[in-house]
Amino acid sequence: MAQTNLEKQINILDYALSSLWRRRMKSLNVLLVFAAVIFLLASFQMVTQALSDKAKQVLVYTPEITVQKMSAGRQEAIPLAYRDKLARIFGIRRVVPRIWGYYFDEVLLANYTVMGMDVEEMPEGSRLDTTLASGRMPTPDEQGRVVIGHSVKKALDLEGRTTFSFFRPDLSLKAFTVSGEFSRDTDILTNDLIVMNLADARDLYAIPAGMVTDLCVYVANPKEIDTIARKISEALPSVRVLTRPQIQKTYQVVFGWRSGFGSICLLSALAAFVILAWDKASGLSPEERREIAILKVLGWETSDILAVRFWESVIVSGLACILGITAAYIHVVYFAASLFRPVLMGWSVLRPDLHLLPRMAAGDILLILAFTVIPYLAATVIPAWRSATVPADSALGG
Amino acid sequence: MLIELSGVSKIYNQGRANEVRALTDIDLGVEQGSMVCLKGPSGSGKSTLLAIIGCIFPPTSGKAAIAERQLARLPDRFLTLHRRETIGFIFQRFNVLPELTVLENITLPLLPLGVAPKERKLRAQELLERFSISHRAQFPAGQISGGELQRVAIARALINNQPIILADEPTAHLDTTLSREFMEIMQQLKATGKTIVIASHDPLVFEHPAIDRTVTIKDGRIHVP
Ligand SMILES: Nc1ncnc2c1ncn2[C@@H]1O[C@H](COP(=O)(O)OP(=O)(O)O)[C@@H](O)[C@H]1O
Ligand SMILES: [Mg+2]
Repeated sequence: MAQTNLEKQINILDYALSSLWRRRMKSLNVLLVFAAVIFLLASFQMVTQALSDKAKQVLVYTPEITVQKMSAGRQEAIPLAYRDKLARIFGIRRVVPRIWGYYFDEVLLANYTVMGMDVEEMPEGSRLDTTLASGRMPTPDEQGRVVIGHSVKKALDLEGRTTFSFFRPDLSLKAFTVSGEFSRDTDILTNDLIVMNLADARDLYAIPAGMVTDLCVYVANPKEIDTIARKISEALPSVRVLTRPQIQKTYQVVFGWRSGFGSICLLSALAAFVILAWDKASGLSPEERREIAILKVLGWETSDILAVRFWESVIVSGLACILGITAAYIHVVYFAASLFRPVLMGWSVLRPDLHLLPRMAAGDILLILAFTVIPYLAATVIPAWRSATVPADSALGG
Repeated sequence: MLIELSGVSKIYNQGRANEVRALTDIDLGVEQGSMVCLKGPSGSGKSTLLAIIGCIFPPTSGKAAIAERQLARLPDRFLTLHRRETIGFIFQRFNVLPELTVLENITLPLLPLGVAPKERKLRAQELLERFSISHRAQFPAGQISGGELQRVAIARALINNQPIILADEPTAHLDTTLSREFMEIMQQLKATGKTIVIASHDPLVFEHPAIDRTVTIKDGRIHVP
């Protein structure tokens, strides 16, 4: 009996497949629209997921408080002497000087971010070594050693060589040796990055001794960040104090607005799709009514006919999911979510040359399925149920 | 008696404004292995009577026993189960699904029975050979000739080896030759022990020598001249 029942379900599935094939133009249309909606939803989900992952990574490496000197509303070098003043503020664990700048390569027309710091001084500086694909971080006393990111390596086109030169402001050349490379996992942060020690950065930018671009402040208790930031602004004249929560908020505002806007667009696409599915399914053609009546006279139960419609919908939506999600993955990975570039402009301001590694959690897939497959199944099976009550005798001659 | 109706009435849409009394007080018995013709003008109730014999719906009142089952007591689902074991239908215009192949059309009644594809094909091939349409097995049913179509419809009614064959005005859209051929096949089926009821007002049918009895229906009642 169980054997027969299984065989019956296989037969019904088989019939569903062949009737999809018989109406292949119509099926294909529905499939494509369906796949397109899933593609949009999945792309968006992957991009937002990848971006918020990146935001979290960025924040992990951001110092709790960054202090910069301002003059006439612009940033300028800050004296190292401020360190001593900061040291007097209770609750500060450590102050690490940093030179942070950009270098424009006029030959290659490429822009790099240069970070000069003494890694050992950072509270978790040793952890930075784990972000390297090869080599190690430069030490304070090695001269001209750098660790570079992926796109820097590509732009410089080193091809086996490990040395290159940059111009100082007076157009004299300064030579560097590559002592390590960042791993691609950290691309969002390190793609355009060149890390060197503080002395080399000072030399490259001709920043006077005793000066840096900013001071990174690490606190003992993260709850006190705001209090300490306020104390710093009171103690030091004309400085700008950036805290990690502030930066976090900036990311969130930009990001929240973008994703909110995107969600509205996607929801309207979804609504259009549901209406389309409903429209397609509820208008059963006379041929379909006739088919149902014939099947009933030939001994098909109403539930068998429903099962055919159900399998048809499952097949269509299953294919649409596979198609849509695969296309979304390709779109995000190989085309850098190019369709969403206009919506995501805010991000390219925060981080130029974005490289996204999409991540798709099982929960996200379930969410997408819940928003697409279930409405579709409802829209196709419910009208079929109505038509399954078509009286069988309508197939007899009148 | 394989088919036994007593005091059967059918009212469509009972209690509503569009109520139609289609059959009144029908008494009819059909013995196993006999061939009966239901005759009468259009609208007289022939199709309704076939639908009751064919277990499509139970009578509104009266008793209908088909192959020893009382229809009135059966819920819809069991009517279907009983129908597919007992009744083979041949429709007016034959009602095939034109995009399906001949083979697929013939085996349609076997799908919900859980018959495996191999077995389905085997049974169909036997019938296709018997009716000399094996060469059409993979053709879409919409593309074969009228004569082939009628044989496909008959094969479909026999696929589950049902004891009763019902045909509703099978010759209404056929020429004389095909009508004769149809009756010849019916005669052969009768000879194999099938019980056959045909609704028709075509003299080629009710005057056929294989017909054991002709029942005339007028305005939903059996007419005794
Ligand atoms: N499904 C139905 N609903 C309402 N009335 C019907 C239905 N089927 C048939 N009738 C009516 O029942 C009567 C008998 O019809 P039918 O059995 O089709 O006669 P015949 O087959 O002899 O032409 C007719 O008046 C017809 O209009
Ligand atoms: Mg009729």
